[in-house]
Amino acid sequence: MTLYVLRRLGAGLVLALLVTLITFLLLSPSFESVVRERLGPTATPETIAGMMTELGFDRPILVQYFDWLGGVFTGDFGRSLFTSQPVAPAVAARLGVTLSLVVTALLITVVISVALGVWAASRGGVADKISQILSLVGYIVPGLLLAIVLVVVLAVNLKLLPAGGFTPFSEDPARWAASIAMPVIVLVIGGVANMAAQVRGTMIDELRKDYVRTLRTRGVSTTSIVIRHALRNAAGPALTVLSLEFIQMLGGALIIENVFALPGYGQYAFNAALQGDIPIILGITAFGVILVVVVNLVTDVVNGWLNPKARIY
Amino acid sequence: MNSLLSRPRALTRAATAALAVSAVLATAACASSPSNERPGESNGSGGGLGTAELTIAVAAPPASLDPAQLAEGEQAFIWASVFDTLLAVDQENEIQPNAAESYEYSDDLRTLTLTLRDDLTFTNGDPVTAEDVVGTLERTRTTPSPQQPKLAKVSSIEATDERTVVVNLSEPDPGLLSYFAQATGVIGDPETLDEESSTLRPVGSGPYTLADATVDGSEYVLERRDDHWNAEAYPFKTFTVRVIQDRTAAFNALQAGEIDAGRIQPQQRPQVEGAGLTVHEQEAISSLLIILADRGGELAPPLADLRVRQAINMAFDREQFVETLFQGVGAPTVQPFNPSEAAYNEDLEGTYDFDPEAARELLADAGYEDGFSLTMPSTVISQSFEPVVTQALADIGITIQWEPVPPQNTASSLASKQYPAALWFMGLNVPAREVADLYAPTGFLNPFNYEDPELTELFSSIANEADEAAQAELYQELNAFSVENALNAPIAYIGGLWATTEDVDFIPEVSVLPTVRNFGVVEG
Repeated sequence: MTLYVLRRLGAGLVLALLVTLITFLLLSPSFESVVRERLGPTATPETIAGMMTELGFDRPILVQYFDWLGGVFTGDFGRSLFTSQPVAPAVAARLGVTLSLVVTALLITVVISVALGVWAASRGGVADKISQILSLVGYIVPGLLLAIVLVVVLAVNLKLLPAGGFTPFSEDPARWAASIAMPVIVLVIGGVANMAAQVRGTMIDELRKDYVRTLRTRGVSTTSIVIRHALRNAAGPALTVLSLEFIQMLGGALIIENVFALPGYGQYAFNAALQGDIPIILGITAFGVILVVVVNLVTDVVNGWLNPKARIY
Repeated sequence: MNSLLSRPRALTRAATAALAVSAVLATAACASSPSNERPGESNGSGGGLGTAELTIAVAAPPASLDPAQLAEGEQAFIWASVFDTLLAVDQENEIQPNAAESYEYSDDLRTLTLTLRDDLTFTNGDPVTAEDVVGTLERTRTTPSPQQPKLAKVSSIEATDERTVVVNLSEPDPGLLSYFAQATGVIGDPETLDEESSTLRPVGSGPYTLADATVDGSEYVLERRDDHWNAEAYPFKTFTVRVIQDRTAAFNALQAGEIDAGRIQPQQRPQVEGAGLTVHEQEAISSLLIILADRGGELAPPLADLRVRQAINMAFDREQFVETLFQGVGAPTVQPFNPSEAAYNEDLEGTYDFDPEAARELLADAGYEDGFSLTMPSTVISQSFEPVVTQALADIGITIQWEPVPPQNTASSLASKQYPAALWFMGLNVPAREVADLYAPTGFLNPFNYEDPELTELFSSIANEADEAAQAELYQELNAFSVENALNAPIAYIGGLWATTEDVDFIPEVSVLPTVRNFGVVEG
């Protein structure tokens, strides 16, 4: 297993290298425009040339890439061309904001989805109808709209929660919770709609299988059958959906971050791309690829633990 | 429209006269002993220092705070708080002494002598000396940066004593004083300027210092330095600048009381007023114009013909533009110059009234009765105006092809000489900077390096004119030349709206450099 994990991490590293290299190559034609943008309206050909040299953009593309890569291996991702912020701590801080949203939202999503899905699958009838309607509604309501309604009602009118901004957990846990409450609600509703349906479906399949009948004939209690046996088997596919949900939430965070004025990863990536802030774009790409690789790896390992048949190592 | 612009203009004239007198008095006082009369000091609340707090929202984080790398615009809220500038632009757009308590040009306008105040200190406690000013300026002059080109005419800078800085010029530069009143004129601490930390936490001598609570890129917390020489002019003890990119989010934060002031869009106005906030209007902060860059006809031969350029100027129903596109927050204009500055000439308005028929005739006279087509870059600036511009020009027979340009290539789309014309915003400034940008052979808004003997002559007369009133007349002459020759096609001045809570006042006249000085405490 250790070997498997190392192999997967190695493959992830190669992937990260390729993706950043391609990103770098795609960005390279606009280096001069970016420098001009940075220098503003007073830029003269001399200052542009001067800054190109200072930033090393006048060197061959591959030399620049490997120079950047060399820095990365010593932990130096460079500095933003525009704000001069060091890339690694800046991206990490932004990622912290987004992850605290997404991870909290995912945990709540799991609890609600499993409860709802299991309830619907094991009870059937009205319970099933209710859970399906809830899923459908959650699926239909656009997250953006919900976000705006929440801000207007909870923050602007009732003044219960802050309208935007982020307080780190380490600074004040209560204010942290208040600052992420609304975005988490939005993410959870979208997430539950997806996952509850998934849990319900696989649970129904599992409960119809022969081994469940065998367990029943042996006198095993329904609770035990549902929780210890069927759910464990149904958890595999649900986990895969969860990992996809996680990656989707990271990407979809941009809209949520904008509405709630959260200084998160999505917003940062978007702005960097608009400005052409090359070191930031590369840093975000590298962090993003590694995050996705790790999430997928964890999913596969947990899947193997849940279901030895699914073990690929 | 005339009433809209003439009102502040009349005010400005009276104020300018009053100011000229007080400036003379101030300089006279400076010569004998350091004066206690500082411009704008009345902003403070009575005797002691104000204790109010202010939180505002801006749309984007500031660029590097390295003096050479500073950018103007909303970013000035932060850097103008951290640094002292040598000179300052006051509420009437006049240049005033600031960290330099006096300044004087030699008769040939090639030597500028600045005398520093004797009570300037950096945040680390060191006094600010003439050497520090020389160090900062010398570094800016030799570092490829946004500020470097502004010192292009400076040949050397020297400190003749502790408080005297002498700037020698290779040729007179009418823009230099305004540069020293804005980003180029900040005083950094040469000992720390090259350290990486100074891009985020610079050592300055300004009225505020960045507190530890600052989160780079999202929240800048500025604490007032109560021992700053001009602390009384800053009523806010804490000034927080939050970066909120989304306009709706900023508006929500305003309504929820999390920020005290922020820009709003004209269409948000009724809602904002309904929520009990005060709306303040800036009549003109930038101008919208079509840069007819290719006046020589290299790419688009029709543009070389004066009649064609005049026809383009006559194609726009400017009043309608302002009403529909800017909800009346702005004013129609045929001249791109700051309406509260010397170059503005009210008599020029009306030169190109909306007259598509006459425009078509002019085009026919020029030999383009079947019209022609023109390619313009479609940028983040132009996008929302493209349909109306296309329509207006189509009515006189000119077909516009918009070529999409990615956001990071906006500036280079104009500078690259790829497009004969472009729809652009020009931030309003003092005339020296506006004329340099628009019509100097190296101006950013003159990418085809257009020159004309009469213009060249005017530029040199302006540069060599020491008398302000005579210089103002020359600026007007240059403006008239540019309008009569339809060098560009200005469309409108664009205003801005700020919403504030009821205890915060906004002083809209300060349009050149947005700073914390734009805000005041409403005495209640």
